[in-house]
Amino acid sequence: MATKLKQPRWRRVPKRNYFLLGVIVFLSFFPFYWMFVVSSNTNAEISKSPPSLIPGGRFLVVAHKVMSAQGVYFSRALLNTFVVGISIALAQVVFSAIAGFAFAKLDFKGRKGLILFVVGTMMLPSQLGIIPLFMLVKNLHMIDSLFGLIVPALVTAFGVFWMRQIIDAQIPNELLEAASIDGASVPRIFFSIVLPIVRQSGFVLGLFAFLAAWNDYLWPTIVLQSPKHFTLQVALTQLKPMYGLDYGLQMGGAFLATAPLLILFLFVGKKLVTGVMDGAVKG
Amino acid sequence: MTKGERGKTSLTPWKKTRKPEAFPGVRSLNGKWGYLYVAPFIFMFVVFGLAPVLYSVYISFFHWDPLGSSNFVGLRNFNNLLHDSDFWLSIRNTFSIWGLSTFPQMFMAIGLANILRNTRLRGKSFFRTILLVPNITSVIAITIVFSQLFGRDFGIINDILSWAGLGHHIDFIEGVIPSHVQIATMITWRWIGYNTLIFLASMLAIPNELYESASVDGATKRQQFRFVTLPQLKNTITFVLIVGTIGGLQVFAEPQQLAADGGSSKQFLTLTLFLYNQAFVNNKYGYAAAIGIMITFIVLIISTVNFFISRKISNDGTR
Amino acid sequence: MAVASIAAAVIGLGAFSAPAKAADPVTITIWTFGDVIQRNLVAEYKALHPEVTLQIKKSDLDPLDGTNMVTACTSKTGPDIVATEVSYSGYWRSYPKCFTDLRTMKTTGEPTANIAAGLSASDIKANYLPWRWAQGVAFDGSVIGIPTDVGGLEVAYRTDLFKKAGLPTERGAVAKLWPTWDKFIATGQKYNAKLSAANKKAGMGFIDNAGTIYAAIMNQGTAKYYANDGTENGKLIYDTNPQVKLAWNTTIKATQAGIGTRIGQYTSDWNIGMNKGTFATILAPAWMMDYIKAQAPDTAGKWDIADMPGGGGNQGGTQLGIPSYAQNKQAAYDFLTWYLAPAQELKVFKTYGLFPAASVLYKDPALTGYTDPFFNNAPVGKIYAEGVQTLKPIFEGKLQRAIDTAIGAGLGRVAAKKMTAEKSWAQVLSDLKKVVNN
Repeated sequence: MATKLKQPRWRRVPKRNYFLLGVIVFLSFFPFYWMFVVSSNTNAEISKSPPSLIPGGRFLVVAHKVMSAQGVYFSRALLNTFVVGISIALAQVVFSAIAGFAFAKLDFKGRKGLILFVVGTMMLPSQLGIIPLFMLVKNLHMIDSLFGLIVPALVTAFGVFWMRQIIDAQIPNELLEAASIDGASVPRIFFSIVLPIVRQSGFVLGLFAFLAAWNDYLWPTIVLQSPKHFTLQVALTQLKPMYGLDYGLQMGGAFLATAPLLILFLFVGKKLVTGVMDGAVKG
Repeated sequence: MTKGERGKTSLTPWKKTRKPEAFPGVRSLNGKWGYLYVAPFIFMFVVFGLAPVLYSVYISFFHWDPLGSSNFVGLRNFNNLLHDSDFWLSIRNTFSIWGLSTFPQMFMAIGLANILRNTRLRGKSFFRTILLVPNITSVIAITIVFSQLFGRDFGIINDILSWAGLGHHIDFIEGVIPSHVQIATMITWRWIGYNTLIFLASMLAIPNELYESASVDGATKRQQFRFVTLPQLKNTITFVLIVGTIGGLQVFAEPQQLAADGGSSKQFLTLTLFLYNQAFVNNKYGYAAAIGIMITFIVLIISTVNFFISRKISNDGTR
Repeated sequence: MAVASIAAAVIGLGAFSAPAKAADPVTITIWTFGDVIQRNLVAEYKALHPEVTLQIKKSDLDPLDGTNMVTACTSKTGPDIVATEVSYSGYWRSYPKCFTDLRTMKTTGEPTANIAAGLSASDIKANYLPWRWAQGVAFDGSVIGIPTDVGGLEVAYRTDLFKKAGLPTERGAVAKLWPTWDKFIATGQKYNAKLSAANKKAGMGFIDNAGTIYAAIMNQGTAKYYANDGTENGKLIYDTNPQVKLAWNTTIKATQAGIGTRIGQYTSDWNIGMNKGTFATILAPAWMMDYIKAQAPDTAGKWDIADMPGGGGNQGGTQLGIPSYAQNKQAAYDFLTWYLAPAQELKVFKTYGLFPAASVLYKDPALTGYTDPFFNNAPVGKIYAEGVQTLKPIFEGKLQRAIDTAIGAGLGRVAAKKMTAEKSWAQVLSDLKKVVNN
């Protein structure tokens, strides 16, 4: 019944568009490349004008300096950051899915008011509650522990809203009706039907949560005290000299802290793209 | 907090008009489960999200020095704020940066998406993936890189600009508009790929019949873009605008890294930087809390306006 | 054999007359920034006291001495030792309740380092430069921090560039060029006049940033923005203190004479400028010498150090203190007194260039005889030692840093030609009203 629609005849892509895209690719990568160049050159090289655009040979030296700097336990920090990132990602996906499902498909009193209220609070600036939050976290004895980073971030209003939209868009009511008629309980429906369907979008939510946790620096700097508990961003602040900036060292640290993400991106980049684009259209 | 630099976003544009009274879920399911399922979220949210903020709201009515005394001052913080030229300066700065980082980016994103839409493009998948790469970097590192590139005397960007005859030794720190351009450039760099993908997805969802009939009517590619593509993108545009607004009005990390005190002419003072400095540099927590509340109002107002405009457009647009 | 071991045990027991506490493992947490706590000294102390673990957390300066310390004090937590930079000393001197009064602490004694037992802060005060010591004294007289280093300020200048401009290059003669700030400005104008048109267009100039003159002059006076009236806030005198007006006017004069290149310090443009000879002078604290060496190694031997107009100056410096809620006060105090002892401060100077605040060293040939080949073998130890001794103790009050920031912004606006000097000062005053009120 569905006749294949005639595809519009696309023109051949003009060379200038490839050029434009090439520029975009270049611009996207240039800051990374620049980080590498700066961290692999000597200070004298960095301070030349016009600047040297070619990497020097010092990267391994600088990388070693970064990893052995006082207060920087690089592999430890890397591990800590992974642990925090994955914990937060998992937690957010699970809790957001549960709450999002409830908001999307279950009817309970106060549902509408609650979701509106939650959405409204997404507009509060996060810097507002830092001091009270710190006092709260301290009373819970979570200062200087990774829990102090994970627990306040277990679920966010954004995550819930995102899963609500996804579930609303991707799961037809009839499906759930049918299962309910067959006698399945709500938990059963959630785990067997809903979760598998939204797995892909949930993955994307988790990825973004992971990325945000990876790059977060304000809160971790306040909460974490011992160098062995630092996440990468906090560990990087240990590279700062007393006054001013040490460009080579700090760029080296920044590069090393971003490289794992780039590697991760090689594997999941495509999925991320699909997730972003799916989310844009569905619902 | 792990809200990310511009806040985490829902990726769903409000495409369809919803009748507000309709319940979109499944009536036959036992709604009581809803309470249990939202409980973890509500609990965490109240404890870690809401309570600190409520406490901050409470102290906005006080003059509170954390190491000293606190006394109730009623609305004085708000009154002082409205008369504080720094507050209005920060509004100007915030909106200026918002304008510079939202609109050019949107044009470029739509243009880019249009290029990427072509099914005959080679390396489609590669290009799409590259677009998200800037998004994964840390703001601090990028700020250091860009501040080098934007150096007044020796930065690469100034070198290029003077070679192209477009300017000489532009001071991207002291100049008000140039400083905003610097921040806007960083933001645009970070988010343009993301927004391009959103536009691309929307474009790909435009039914081909529309292009078919337009081309049958003799429309050129350019006219098709203007009269088919763009109108269909209206919802996406509004969505990107709203999300960009909420994030853009809370720009903090980049200005703070470039000039923690806001700059000698307070050119870098955005609303959130203003808040942060009042709280953590001047130790005026009550005043800072008042600023936070004002920020929320501003964001709320703008988002509501955007929402109603988008609703109207959708209503006009749906068949 | 057995007799020998019993004898050894008895002798050993006798030697341990110090409290057994010294051997229990203890972890001292330290909050610091940059390289205030030197790595090799940490290792040295560890060798002396294997039971002590020093856990060091570095932060950026402002979050550290601002946010983190405030949060710690209000929530009754915090490290055992905290490094307070000089620009925050005014603030913390208003809140002695957040710190342990070091006059009440007594050293356990460190024989290997010639530190006797039972020394309180009052006992070691004489070892240190009086005005640097004063920066660690709260408004009620309690000692909340002991100084590590003193910034000092002298003029680092490029001999090759001076020669090109027809100026003398020998440091004594150079110092004679500018006994006063006005003469310094005049020298700058002379230098600029000799620049080729191309060099002028490229932005070359005499001094990197004329704004640095303000802080130098402020430190040469006897009062800054406050008078100590015994209250925790101090009495504001910024609008009446003639030193403020003098510093402001001189800096404006230098700015308007165009002797500065207006490059911000610590930007990448500044590093590049150092290498390229964009500016011929920098008002350099002792610790900046190391920075110049690291950033512009190819300029070795082209620099020298001369006395600054008006005597010495100061920029930067740190105090180490023990917060009130520290867990291990005794161990912290023992480490602190060891680390800040003159012998250790000398070591820090030799490895990192932080000029010691321990003034007893200023007669020590190890310091006075110290020359630096990078700076044309200038006797930097002697020069800075003489310079820092000319300054007097200045009372700094709570909002000193905020006031400095507002005035600095005012100077910046004039330098960027955004405002006239009068208008800028008017804005400074209105900004200060906001800072000071409410």
